[in-house]
Amino acid sequence: MDQYSILGRIGEGAHGIVFKAKHIETGETVALKKVALRKLEDGIPNQALREIKALQEIEDNQYVVKLKDVFPHGTGFVLVFEYMLSDLSEVIRNSQRPLTESQVKGYMMMLLKGVAFCHENSIMHRDLKPANLLISSTGHLKIADFGLARLFSNEGERLYSHQVATRWYRAPELLYGARKYDEGVDLWAVGCIFGELLNNSPLFPGENDIEQLCCVLRVLGTPNQKVWPEITELPDYNKITFKENPPIPLEEIVPDTSPQAVDLLKKFLVYPSKQRLSARQALLHPYFFTDPLPAHHSELPIPQRGGKHSRQRLQPPFEFSVDRPLHESLVDPSLIQSTFLLSG
Amino acid sequence: MYHNSSQKKYWTFENEAALEKLRQEANQKFRSKALSIRKPGINDSIFLDPREEKVLFKHYEKRLLDLCSIFKPAMPKSVVGTACMYFRRFYLNNSLMEYHPRTIMLTCAYLSCKVDEFNVSSTQFVGNLQENPAAQERALEQILEYELLLIQQLNFHLVVHNPYRPMEGFLIDLKTRYPLLENPEVLRKNAEDFLNRAAMTDAGLLFSPSQIALTAVLNSAARTGLNMETYLTECMGLKDNKETLSKMYDAMRRITILIKEYELPRTDEVNIYKQKLERIHAECAPNTNLKRKHGYEDDDHVVKKPLITEEEWTDEDLDAL
Repeated sequence: MDQYSILGRIGEGAHGIVFKAKHIETGETVALKKVALRKLEDGIPNQALREIKALQEIEDNQYVVKLKDVFPHGTGFVLVFEYMLSDLSEVIRNSQRPLTESQVKGYMMMLLKGVAFCHENSIMHRDLKPANLLISSTGHLKIADFGLARLFSNEGERLYSHQVATRWYRAPELLYGARKYDEGVDLWAVGCIFGELLNNSPLFPGENDIEQLCCVLRVLGTPNQKVWPEITELPDYNKITFKENPPIPLEEIVPDTSPQAVDLLKKFLVYPSKQRLSARQALLHPYFFTDPLPAHHSELPIPQRGGKHSRQRLQPPFEFSVDRPLHESLVDPSLIQSTFLLSG
Repeated sequence: MYHNSSQKKYWTFENEAALEKLRQEANQKFRSKALSIRKPGINDSIFLDPREEKVLFKHYEKRLLDLCSIFKPAMPKSVVGTACMYFRRFYLNNSLMEYHPRTIMLTCAYLSCKVDEFNVSSTQFVGNLQENPAAQERALEQILEYELLLIQQLNFHLVVHNPYRPMEGFLIDLKTRYPLLENPEVLRKNAEDFLNRAAMTDAGLLFSPSQIALTAVLNSAARTGLNMETYLTECMGLKDNKETLSKMYDAMRRITILIKEYELPRTDEVNIYKQKLERIHAECAPNTNLKRKHGYEDDDHVVKKPLITEEEWTDEDLDAL
């Protein structure tokens, strides 16, 4: 612990406090997540074990927050993460104007790269949501909080808990009490996050579990065996019946959105988990290759923690466009000249 | 994936000698530490030597396996394998004289259940011990007290790759790509047996899970009188890769030797060393700064102590700036 000096408190997680600290030797700023072991009749919480497990076995990836170290402290231990300035929920909350299409694409691309990496390493995150997508000081998005992550195997025997994922991002099979599920639950969450970025408000903001299901059913239509054959095997399928209603076209749910965006969204928000577009495939969707192209991370907003001094990055005067003549995007040389003279 | 796992990076060793060296060092480290207390009852004659430690280690490892085999609900093989591996890794760098194997063995099993998502509550877990409720409660207290020490000694490397899944893989591969063998399922029983026995050796600290699994399958075939050399040369494509093939044969030979050489510890030996161990723990425990109690079975006199209160991480830490 004496390797670090505490700089302040970042927040409180499910299992202890998160501090901002400086690694004395390297001067690097880090986040320390302390896991306390007091009054826990089952000992070290599963969430902490899962987080260590998931993050220690994967190699570094640009889009997954890095666990730098674990060490014991007092009667618990401390997880050391790279320090991240903010998270996507703050970005959504604090942006004065809706995110531009190119910015949404930038975030989606980073999110999908991170999810693809996790899934290729047999890890399902199970709790993807804007608050768990951290934003670095350079505008990079990284997936964090692997407290619910599970190493999955394709054996198909193990039963999982369905009480995972934050409600608004919880896949329909989980809402129906499924105990066998797959990485598709993450892809549903990706769809929900995508919709939230497009609309600047959550797609399915259910107040409770039943209402959550209503929200989803209202948009996707009441599921039946034809669109979702597996539904009859789900534990809670017979417990609740809903009035028949047809699906609402997603174009109406995310108005003013490009057809490609709607098409991609549609491919995540489908009932049968196996039919959801994989993260790797999604990265090849035309959405990412049509104008406006995904924003570079340096063009993304970086709000401060706490959100008070939301600092919108200096925006380029217009959206870059491939069709625009090159000379129009050039900076007036005389402007540079004066800066150069000043600093010289 | 095994190839970028902590198991491969930190817990797979070059050869048996490297393992022996670590165990010797752990034994020596404890001796010097105990002698430095300068207590009349502590002298060189009371200690266990590394060979004696090994006998006791096997004894408690067997007890760990026995506990797992009678555990209700039935424990998946991977949970058992992980528990064994934790136990082995722990005593690679620690002496049995320092931490009582009875407690560590239970803690390994408990942690392995959690890590492998075999969800049993703590009371359910100790309910499996053949003890009265008071002793079960004491056992639980000790497990929780040692859990942190255990994961620390495991260097927070919690994922263990067991050979059971690769073995399933090989059986599937045989079914699909090796028509010479009519029914690969006949190999299962002996192969599983082989893996269970491998878990009681250092094989898991020296070889990859798939090497152990392949040895198990080929060994099982040999016992049924089948020669499956062509599986390696043809299906595995090792025909023209003499170097890899001979390395593979060498690994298989070494794994087989490890398993053949395994002997259950003799009861009379175990009893003598156990007495020594209890004496060492009685002599050393109260005075080492490690305030560790010894095994719960002998702890009737120990007054139930409240779990240590959490050292708060408070504003003092913040003030330290």
